[in-house]
Amino acid sequence: MKANNNNLPDKNGFFGEYGGKFVPETLMYALEELETTYEKLKDDAEFKNQFYKDLSEFVGRPSPLYFAERLTNLYGTGSIWLKREDLNHTGAHKINNTIGQILLAKYMGKKRIIAETGAGQHGVATATVAARLGLECHIYMGSEDVQRQSLNVYRIKLLGAQVHAVDSGSATLKDALNEALRDWVTNVDDTYYIIGSVTGPHPYPMIVRDFNSVVGEELITQSKEMFQSMPDAIVACVGGGSNAMGAFYPFIKFNETRLIGVEAGGEGVETGEHAAPLNDGTPGVLHGALSYLMQDEGGQVKGTKSVSAGLDYPGVGPEHSWLKDSGRAEYVAVSDEAALKAFHEVSELEGIIPALETAHAFAYLDTLMKEFDEDANIIVNVSGRGDKDINTVAEIDGIKI
Amino acid sequence: MNRLTKTLNNLKKNNKKALVAYLVAGDPDLDSTLDLMKIFVEAGVDVIEIGVPFTDPIAEGPIIQRAHDRALDNNISLQKIYEMVKNYRKYDDETPLVLMGYLNTFIFNKKLIEDNQNNVIDSVLVVDIPGELNLKDYGVYNSNINTISLISPTTKKDRVESIAKNSSGFVYYVTLRGVTGASNLDVNEINSNIEEIKKHATVPTLAGFGIKSAEDARLLSDCSDGVIIGSSIVKMIEEESSSKEFDRIGSYISEIKKAIS
Repeated sequence: MKANNNNLPDKNGFFGEYGGKFVPETLMYALEELETTYEKLKDDAEFKNQFYKDLSEFVGRPSPLYFAERLTNLYGTGSIWLKREDLNHTGAHKINNTIGQILLAKYMGKKRIIAETGAGQHGVATATVAARLGLECHIYMGSEDVQRQSLNVYRIKLLGAQVHAVDSGSATLKDALNEALRDWVTNVDDTYYIIGSVTGPHPYPMIVRDFNSVVGEELITQSKEMFQSMPDAIVACVGGGSNAMGAFYPFIKFNETRLIGVEAGGEGVETGEHAAPLNDGTPGVLHGALSYLMQDEGGQVKGTKSVSAGLDYPGVGPEHSWLKDSGRAEYVAVSDEAALKAFHEVSELEGIIPALETAHAFAYLDTLMKEFDEDANIIVNVSGRGDKDINTVAEIDGIKI
Repeated sequence: MNRLTKTLNNLKKNNKKALVAYLVAGDPDLDSTLDLMKIFVEAGVDVIEIGVPFTDPIAEGPIIQRAHDRALDNNISLQKIYEMVKNYRKYDDETPLVLMGYLNTFIFNKKLIEDNQNNVIDSVLVVDIPGELNLKDYGVYNSNINTISLISPTTKKDRVESIAKNSSGFVYYVTLRGVTGASNLDVNEINSNIEEIKKHATVPTLAGFGIKSAEDARLLSDCSDGVIIGSSIVKMIEEESSSKEFDRIGSYISEIKKAIS
């Protein structure tokens, strides 16, 4: 299989037909500058040492691979293992990427950091690394997300960054990205844009994947230690797709491991009210890349619906589109309702309150575990913890905090 | 000959500067767009740039973003824009018309552009593709439609040449780092960059983004082959979107025209 060669993207930033650089001319120079810097540093011993040192001492890596005994017993088929990205500093996998990108920013001498955020986890992770280096930091966030993720908004402010609420369009992650791109076009000379997912123009999908691949690399070692084989499946939620890509990428060459991405099914894929472009979208160009996209027959981007702010995005990283078309990864969707049920179930069974995003991956176990026997080992990537979602869930459950 | 090429050649021959005016199709509605296009031409506009609304116009400042939103609220599609333009051509078969928009809308309506019925459109400007590339590279081609490529203050010298050569309509020099309607013009920088472009371009070089006053227009027309006015017109359209009294837009354009003549 072509996807096995792990040599993608090509020099123009394409994964098969997906990816590329579709940006206003003003940004072309900045993307080239970033690409050149990254190519120079990615194999540099000093750069790598610094990256892994920060991941170890500041983030607390490696994150454990934990046997979920009660969840395993619930299904009674394979063993379920949890990759505990929720235990990272700042509470999600997002910090892996920001640790890497802030080192690039520092090397490039950029004084000002910008980022978009949906659930706020990437905003927190960016504000955190910017604070550590004393850099000015601006976070763009849809005004709807500012409401539903108020805890993270306050965390970002505590870390000394400015939050800009974005009212345009659907006032969610997509619009925050638009606004961050506009900021970048305006301040391109001194500003580094830390994109938070495997989306956007080349080289971002590659850079974010590479930094977050520490998750998959650890999983290879940990799988051998814990159950002496490669896992039968890795399950991860997919919004833009960075936590999934980080876990999947080192496994692409191991065909025995099924790679399963779970998208936000919202009210149900059949209703059209969802955020599942890989399940119910067509190829299109948004935010600098060609990838599966939720769009209407005129090529306008459709509004999305998901209980989870971090998955509430009409596009997806181009490498996922490639993995879907090549058949190497499978992409499914679960509804808000199923995700909420899993949110409660995992909290009660395992003592782990997962992020609503992560709850989507857990929810798919209901279907998936029927396909395995007792010898199977299934890994769920616990992309983040659910503290940030307490208000959302309480409101849905009719509880006033 | 393509209307755009013809018009720009004539202007050059007579030592005149081109005035390009922008609006968003369907803002506040398509009938108004048709009226506004007539007002533009009466006031001295040489080329009309018709913005094709898109849900995520990343190169636009707030004024033009809101115009895109108003048009989308009216369910404006490229199909409807084509119908309006065909209608407009009954009144005016000379003024060059340029569609300006985002790649996704054009590749999704590939057939409309390829057919370009009655050759009503003269050029397409795609905001979100690298300057060396044009719609043909994305599988959309019509030999009667020419390409307008953007060059910005951050475009590196080695790319200026290939972008300039790729432009068959005109080279669109983006006068600032920023979105449409921003206000940080640096005339010295603009001067030297346009000089560099002119070394390579076989077509005229026009300047746009951030031109607000007649004085801005005069300064920039001195070093270029013409100017593009967008946000300041769209702002007036917004202010008159309920009254639909667009007369002062005509006066504003006449003033700009005078300043660059």
